[in-house]
Amino acid sequence: MEKELEKIEDQVRKSLADNLRKGFADRNFGDVLVVGGGISGIQAALDLGAAGFKVYLVEKAPSIGGHMAQLDKTFPTNDCSM
Amino acid sequence: MCTGRVDLSFVLRAFSKGADGVFIIGCRLNECNYITHGNFHALSMVHLCKKLMEHIGLNPARLMIEFMSGGEGILFAEVMDDIGKKVNELGPLGKAEGIDEKALRAKLEAVTQLVPYIRLVERERLRIPFKSEDEFDTFFTSDEFNRLFNELIVDKLAISQIMLLLRERPLSTVKISEILGLTPSEVSRHMNSSSRQGLVRYDESRKCFALA
Amino acid sequence: MGRHPNIEVLTYTEVDSVEGEAGDFKVTLIKKPRYIIESKCTGCTTCVEYCPVKYPDQYNQEISDNKAVHVYFAQAIPLITYIDESCLYLKEKKCRICEAVCKNNAIDFNQKLEKVEVNVGAIILSSGLEPFDPKVKEEYRYGQFVNVVTSMDYERLLCATGPYQGEILRASDMKHPHKVAWLQCVGSRRVTPGENSYCSAVCCTYTQKQVILTKEHDAEAECTVFHNDIRSYGKDFERFYERAENLPGVRFFRSYVSIVKENPETQSVTIRYSTPDEGVKEEEFDMVVLSVGLNPPADVQGLANKFGIELNAHGFCKAIPSNPMETTRPGIFVSGAFQGPTDIPESVFTASAAGSQCGELLDYRRGELSKERIYPPERDVSQEEPRIGVFVCHCGANIGRIVGVPSTVEYALTLPNVVYAQEQLFSCATNSAQQISDLTKEKGLNRVVIAACSPRTLEPLFRDTLREAGINQYYLDMANIREHCSWVHAKEKEEATQKAKDIIRMSVARVCRLKPLQEFDLPVNKTALVVGGGIAGMTCALSIAKQGHEVYLVEKDADLGGTARRIHSTLDGMDVQAYLRDLVRKIYQHPLIHVYTDATIPEATGYVGNFVTKVKSDRGVTEIKHGAAVIAIGADEYKPTEYLYGKDDRVMTNLELEEQIAQGEERVMNAQSLVMIQCVGCRNEDRNYCARICCSNSVKNALKLKEINPRMDITILFRDMRTYGFSEDYYREASNKDVKFIRYEPQDKPQVEAVEEEGRRILRVTVTDYILGKKLAIDADLLSLAAAVIPSAGNKEMSLLFKVSLGPDDWFKEAHVKLRPVEFGTDGVYLCGIAHYPKHIPEAINQAYGAAGRVLTLLSHDTVTASGSVCEVDEDKCISCGACITVCTYGAIEFYDTPQGRKATVNPVLCKGDGLCNSVCPTAAISLKHFADEELLSQIDAAVGDF
Repeated sequence: MEKELEKIEDQVRKSLADNLRKGFADRNFGDVLVVGGGISGIQAALDLGAAGFKVYLVEKAPSIGGHMAQLDKTFPTNDCSM
Repeated sequence: MCTGRVDLSFVLRAFSKGADGVFIIGCRLNECNYITHGNFHALSMVHLCKKLMEHIGLNPARLMIEFMSGGEGILFAEVMDDIGKKVNELGPLGKAEGIDEKALRAKLEAVTQLVPYIRLVERERLRIPFKSEDEFDTFFTSDEFNRLFNELIVDKLAISQIMLLLRERPLSTVKISEILGLTPSEVSRHMNSSSRQGLVRYDESRKCFALA
Repeated sequence: MGRHPNIEVLTYTEVDSVEGEAGDFKVTLIKKPRYIIESKCTGCTTCVEYCPVKYPDQYNQEISDNKAVHVYFAQAIPLITYIDESCLYLKEKKCRICEAVCKNNAIDFNQKLEKVEVNVGAIILSSGLEPFDPKVKEEYRYGQFVNVVTSMDYERLLCATGPYQGEILRASDMKHPHKVAWLQCVGSRRVTPGENSYCSAVCCTYTQKQVILTKEHDAEAECTVFHNDIRSYGKDFERFYERAENLPGVRFFRSYVSIVKENPETQSVTIRYSTPDEGVKEEEFDMVVLSVGLNPPADVQGLANKFGIELNAHGFCKAIPSNPMETTRPGIFVSGAFQGPTDIPESVFTASAAGSQCGELLDYRRGELSKERIYPPERDVSQEEPRIGVFVCHCGANIGRIVGVPSTVEYALTLPNVVYAQEQLFSCATNSAQQISDLTKEKGLNRVVIAACSPRTLEPLFRDTLREAGINQYYLDMANIREHCSWVHAKEKEEATQKAKDIIRMSVARVCRLKPLQEFDLPVNKTALVVGGGIAGMTCALSIAKQGHEVYLVEKDADLGGTARRIHSTLDGMDVQAYLRDLVRKIYQHPLIHVYTDATIPEATGYVGNFVTKVKSDRGVTEIKHGAAVIAIGADEYKPTEYLYGKDDRVMTNLELEEQIAQGEERVMNAQSLVMIQCVGCRNEDRNYCARICCSNSVKNALKLKEINPRMDITILFRDMRTYGFSEDYYREASNKDVKFIRYEPQDKPQVEAVEEEGRRILRVTVTDYILGKKLAIDADLLSLAAAVIPSAGNKEMSLLFKVSLGPDDWFKEAHVKLRPVEFGTDGVYLCGIAHYPKHIPEAINQAYGAAGRVLTLLSHDTVTASGSVCEVDEDKCISCGACITVCTYGAIEFYDTPQGRKATVNPVLCKGDGLCNSVCPTAAISLKHFADEELLSQIDAAVGDF
């Protein structure tokens, strides 16, 4: 248990130190800006996020989802598109 | 977890606990969310279980299976309404079929005990490579299936029931045949084979069979 | 999505300006005021109830009303309200009721436009599309006749969250329409001003979907589709079309139509159309759906100016065929429908593809800004009595309106081991999840039941919540009282409440028996294997290698290039051979790519992150260890047995014709008359699919020939011309250049015979012309057959080697048609190119980059996490019958030798937790963790009670 705690504290310290060292404490620094929060934009953001990049996803509507969120169901399984 | 994980013993458990109906819903056939098409296994299990229910005097309509996708909310609601109505029409389990509670429990218990055996048999003899609901219907209503069922399961089930009866108290062949609704000659056939296997013994003094 | 540590979502925000260059862009964003403090709003919608302003709801296509303050839609992310310009206070400085009713003080009318500057290295434009607005043409009567709706409107009408809660109703009388007509190609395939000349590519199939759903709503409904060509060109589209067409009461009519009049009493709509047998007819319909096409995004020119990119003639992003993700400005990429009209799977894999290109550009800084979530250590509660907390969610009104939530909470408290219960408005809201986590700690809970919605969507969130509270994430059970209860029993409140209690009781019973499970990390080998050295395989390999990973590229032929070696140009003018030469050179020059030609794969073993594949080539047998595999083995050309192919050398396939054109073959150049027959070897019983590319290829060859010899007579015999998307323009061009198009029916196929007349050897093609209504005989010098693209003979073998599945036509089957189009159900194995389905070269390139993008999401990690809910074997019970091994399609179970004999053992990495093995094991020796017998039986017992 104690060991784990130490490990976590280490991680936290390390990430803070890293950020400071690189001067990225500024929250407005990212890798990729994705414009449009429809299915394509969401997929792009998820992939890049998973591949180790920091992503901003910008959507002009009050929610992400795009037109696909308006579709009832989709071909061919007529699964819910949400 | 896939519909194919829905086990014969789960269905029997629900009926043993007095459920009036059991309804299984799986993904649409041939639209498996895994790559395994386990919903066909569920379909096969349902057919077999219905046959077992019929055999022990339960209305097989109490067990139902439907296939639909996660997006078909309206269909789901409609089907659920139908099922509710149907189960109400079928009436209370056992009573509607005219089986008394104790006998029903015993029968279900006998089938439950047979589940491991049924699994083996199902795998060896009753697993079918079909990929449509119709083909399943055809197979499970065929003479071939009836023959296999009689050959592989009916006797075992009778013996399983007899063993359960004898666990409570020794009984005569006549008495057993009365309780189980079998002919005395069938019962003596089972008693002979069971005593040969050393499962039961005949108590000369009481003219009864008892567990060995 | 909203909780991903590396993604910051900025909604209600627009881009103002973009400065800088690839690697260093400075982007100014404008955050519009929501007048809601995002961190305080819980999405409870009390403000919405009290808001006095009603105005047409955009999300529901303005069919129903919403309030000035509202949540954009029920499943919005973020699930919080916003106030729009219809607000009384914003307009007239009065009202402010919402401020008074909000208990969280989340309303803030002082919010102003906020400028935010962000620095990024690359930009992806996924600006999407705009549905065509039929108001631009009066003849569509949209907005004039109340029962003429667009397909987007109809989509909302079908939807349970739509304006009438999933009832299809006519706005004129709130009655169900019985006769519904769909008009295809509204706004598409038309050269009239205000409409689009291209084909929108998605309408045929979405209409068929709407027909099927309409019949599901009302089995008696009469559905009529008036169409031009039916373009079912995508994977499984043809079967879907058949399914729709074969439903009772469904008619498909090939006819142009006009909307004539509205019945003044019933407001039904009359349509005029022509039939081959009875001439022009008029018919009245209760509702008419306009199948509207896709436009570029709104104000696309403004968008282009802002980002400094160029547009094509149709107003979509200008792209080069050899890299459709690239815009004219370096560092800015495009994905989705802004490339051109596209369907959902393309939108998904072009996104991964654009991601891969960002990765190529920014690989040097990968991982520097990203964060990992850190959780507190897990408390060992295995020795404690269960202490269960039950949280019952109102889901706004979704559950609370039907189910008596307070009484279920009271009931939950009476259940054994439940020490705490409470209701929540939205359990999934950030602050509610925090509350669950806090209370778990405070009350010493060691198991949690969330009575809310389906685990399918939110289980990951609540598992995370438990981890935050220091409890093993598998101590969670979700009682689904929404989809399984309130949504089904909307009219039976009391029974629904009782059922909710039953469902909660079942969950409580189960959660007591759950075991803490550990997910574990497996190392990932950073190398990729790409099988197939065609355009798709090479493009994918190159993109992966450019992101710093070693790639082994295996090709069965002596040379790289695949089918593309026989293709010389694309419709939009790409020089395929030049591109191919360049690509092959880059492959051989890249230090991280190892090419094996004339190679076969005798054996492949292992699993995600840790595959071992043997490759046999002239270099002997090489054993390759790799973390990911990409299947890009291409496809074959059908060898026709019909129309004299193989018997007469003047009959050839499209590909053969293309090669002969490229070689300047004299008999082709000098031919006076050439006939092409479409749909050879597919769209039939044997191959019930459309090979997608043949129509465009025939048009391409026809245009090439017309360019060489304008006087050549060219006739194309077709069933439906499927020149979808921008290819439609070339179809029109061919038509304008006097290429003749004659439609034939499958039951009346063209007849071909070789005859000699007046010393001239000709191929006589006889066909029924449905427009002229008579048989025609065409004398041709050459006949070209649009031979189908068919699955490669190697597919079966490959599917066994890599344990991936094939679909009904033997194409490789992706994990999910829409959402996971370039990966298999088997983790770590990916798919691209025509092995997936026939496609044009730019589409294959899109998909190849897409697969590379997905591969990188795996290879850029040092480890992958395997689920805790997998099977395990109790060796004492195992009788080594092998039933479990036979039933496991994933190949996750094997025998191994123990001192007690052979026993089954599960590889937890391969196990996907379907549990089929459990129900075949005669001794109950194998058990699926988290769904074990005792866990499920306890639920059954709790459901039924006792006799």
